[in-house]
Amino acid sequence: MQPFTYLLLPALWSSRNRVKRSERGDFARAWLFGGVSVVVFAVLFWGAFWITTQLYAYDELGDFLIRIGLSWLFLTFLSFLTFSGIVTALSTFFLSDDLRLLLATPVAVRRLFYARFAKTVLQSSWMVVVFLLPVLLGIGIARCAPCMFYLTALATVAPFCVIPVAAGTGTTLLLVNVFPARRARDILMLMGLVFAGSIVLLLRFIQPERLLRVDSLPDVTGFFLTLQSPVTPLLPSFWAGETLFASLVGGRDLLHAGALWTTAGAFTVMLSAASERWYFAGFSKSQEARKARFTKLRFLDTVASLMPISVVRRQLLVKDVKVFMRDVTQWSQLLLLLALVMMYLYNFSVLDLDRIPYMAGTIKNFYAFLNLGLAGFVVATIAARFVFPAVSAEGAAFWIIRTAPIRLRDFLWSKFWSGLAPVLLLSLVLTVMANEFLAVAPLLKAVTGAGIVLMSFALVGLATGLGARYPRFSADNATQVAGSPGGIGFMIAAVAYILAMVGLLGWPSAIYMWRMSRLPVRPLRPDEISLIAICCTAAVALSVGVFLYGMRTGVKALEEMG
Amino acid sequence: MIAIHDLRKQYGPFTAVDGVDLEVKPGEIHGFLGPNGAGKTTSIRMIAGLLKPTSGRIVVNGHDLATRPEAAKASLGFIPDRPYIYEKLTAGEFLRFHAGLYGIDGEGLGERVREMLELFELGRWEHELVESFSHGMKQRLVMCAAFLHRPQAVLVDEPMVGLDPRGARLIKNIFKRMSERGVAILMSTHTLEVAHEMCDRISIILKGKIIARGTVDELRELAGSRDEQLTPVFLKLTGGSALQEIDEIV
Repeated sequence: MQPFTYLLLPALWSSRNRVKRSERGDFARAWLFGGVSVVVFAVLFWGAFWITTQLYAYDELGDFLIRIGLSWLFLTFLSFLTFSGIVTALSTFFLSDDLRLLLATPVAVRRLFYARFAKTVLQSSWMVVVFLLPVLLGIGIARCAPCMFYLTALATVAPFCVIPVAAGTGTTLLLVNVFPARRARDILMLMGLVFAGSIVLLLRFIQPERLLRVDSLPDVTGFFLTLQSPVTPLLPSFWAGETLFASLVGGRDLLHAGALWTTAGAFTVMLSAASERWYFAGFSKSQEARKARFTKLRFLDTVASLMPISVVRRQLLVKDVKVFMRDVTQWSQLLLLLALVMMYLYNFSVLDLDRIPYMAGTIKNFYAFLNLGLAGFVVATIAARFVFPAVSAEGAAFWIIRTAPIRLRDFLWSKFWSGLAPVLLLSLVLTVMANEFLAVAPLLKAVTGAGIVLMSFALVGLATGLGARYPRFSADNATQVAGSPGGIGFMIAAVAYILAMVGLLGWPSAIYMWRMSRLPVRPLRPDEISLIAICCTAAVALSVGVFLYGMRTGVKALEEMG
Repeated sequence: MIAIHDLRKQYGPFTAVDGVDLEVKPGEIHGFLGPNGAGKTTSIRMIAGLLKPTSGRIVVNGHDLATRPEAAKASLGFIPDRPYIYEKLTAGEFLRFHAGLYGIDGEGLGERVREMLELFELGRWEHELVESFSHGMKQRLVMCAAFLHRPQAVLVDEPMVGLDPRGARLIKNIFKRMSERGVAILMSTHTLEVAHEMCDRISIILKGKIIARGTVDELRELAGSRDEQLTPVFLKLTGGSALQEIDEIV
């Protein structure tokens, strides 16, 4: 009998074949992703190195902070890996297409379990390992750690990844035996995103900037208590942190290392036994098509019927919104976005610029343009994730649109409007509220407000058009579409456009504000007025150009399709 | 109703469809037969407006598909071989959406939708999500959509795939009834029994070219076959008689 690793061969062969078969854009993709990876690796390495060397200067306090830091790091990964394990196990154990083939063959459940579990661990944890590599290297090099630290790191990370993924897989096994698999996936996706949003908010509301303020020193004890509160000795994250810290300072912590390995082994054995008992029942249940409950969204039909648009556009709009709202994997990501927006605005609300009395006004106005750029990036990201994949989202059902007696121009415009409305609302909220928090000059409020409206139109138009120009109808989900070469191309173009817009609007505004802030106020010279007019006109022309280019190229691509 | 003149489709050096001429009259059910890869689906997809022909002309109800695509498509219903539909819509919502694409709206629509769903025996599934449908149900829903706007011509690519015998019988009856009402139906199929039973005329395509056309009797005569069944005639015309050697090998 072949070992269980035999069942991993198709995945390995597929990857090998993918590497062998070159596709158009592979080279550019390799450069782009390779470059980004090197930069991220370097940033993480230097960040970990810098923090460790800084903390080294504080002797025992520094060691204490490194120890807590490691526990926090592993605690974050513990939760991430558990959720990742749940979601990945749902796919690898219950929803994969090849399971129907494998389960029809005389493969023992235990072999199948080990093969699938190995796949689940690899798929769930590779990102954590990739992240930990530069961080631990940075810490180790900064503290001149012995070789044993790096070997301990390997021996710690391996069982540490297995434990939460096993717990996640066990949860999935339980859930699938209770709910149908597809329903369980929706529930898990939602739970995962709510969890991620909460983590982001929690980390922000701890207010780490308090540490940097001398006047808040009396609160530092409380801050440490808050930091230490989730670090409990009962969790594998604590064991991993302790094991690594011991080897970092030249010692050994066999107790915690042993706890990691024995727990990982015990979890795997228990899960294997549970799988033999309940896996097939769960799989069988996951194949049953339960009656799906869904939101009827009748109000949408009523609202749409009141809109003064053609029947075709109305039906396209209603269809897009309903499909979006009923797909948990789509709308649930908005929760995460909401958490990020709240954090973004909260950061502006706590920005205490009045502590710099002479420069406060100038810095506030500078921040207004920084905010315009950041809001632009948020718009670009949302457009890449939700608007760019809009045409591809039609998927294999696109034949319905193409065989219908409608102009593809109307179809694309419908995608544009349904993308623009939420993006414009969000971008205006971000800009207007941040400007209010900063109390910037009224002129800049108007300029940045107009700027973000222009940017929203241009970026949504560009995303809609390029999404039609580079569609991926066979993609499994919108994230894949957003990460395609076309999606990356859109992001690069969007970043260049945003930087140009911030420059074109920021520079003339800065000249004007500078003049107005002088005493006595000196009126603008004619050449300065001309320069301001040219910059503003150029900003409008650039936005209109980007918008028109996007939409025209999209319509042309759709009309030439096939 | 459907007229095709010198239709060609080239993929690089490979010619998938090579100068096909075809005419389907109102009320006619025209079968489009051929072995795998002969060019049936490519031709059907070009007529449906899903593929751009390299050259040639397609006219539906007097409208040139190249110059007046919306008008041509408005007269046409299309039933693809694989029924991909929006999984997150209900059957009723999908049909209303489809009607909207053809500019149909208003009070009579709800009744028309229910009428079509009842006709295709999907009435009690009107408010269920498409994702819970079986392949055969999705296929029938696509057919509902194709006939919903009362087209004058219908294109069907492999109509019986995934249908149970009851479903297949239902579809055959509906197609017959539609043709009696003057709807022109162009149907590609592998199932020779279906073609034999339903089609008024048949075109056989091989390597992108129409090699024979006529009624079943005319084709039988052309192949010099006295066989009652269409299969031997088809095999003779398409050069597939070597298949008979399989018995010896097996």
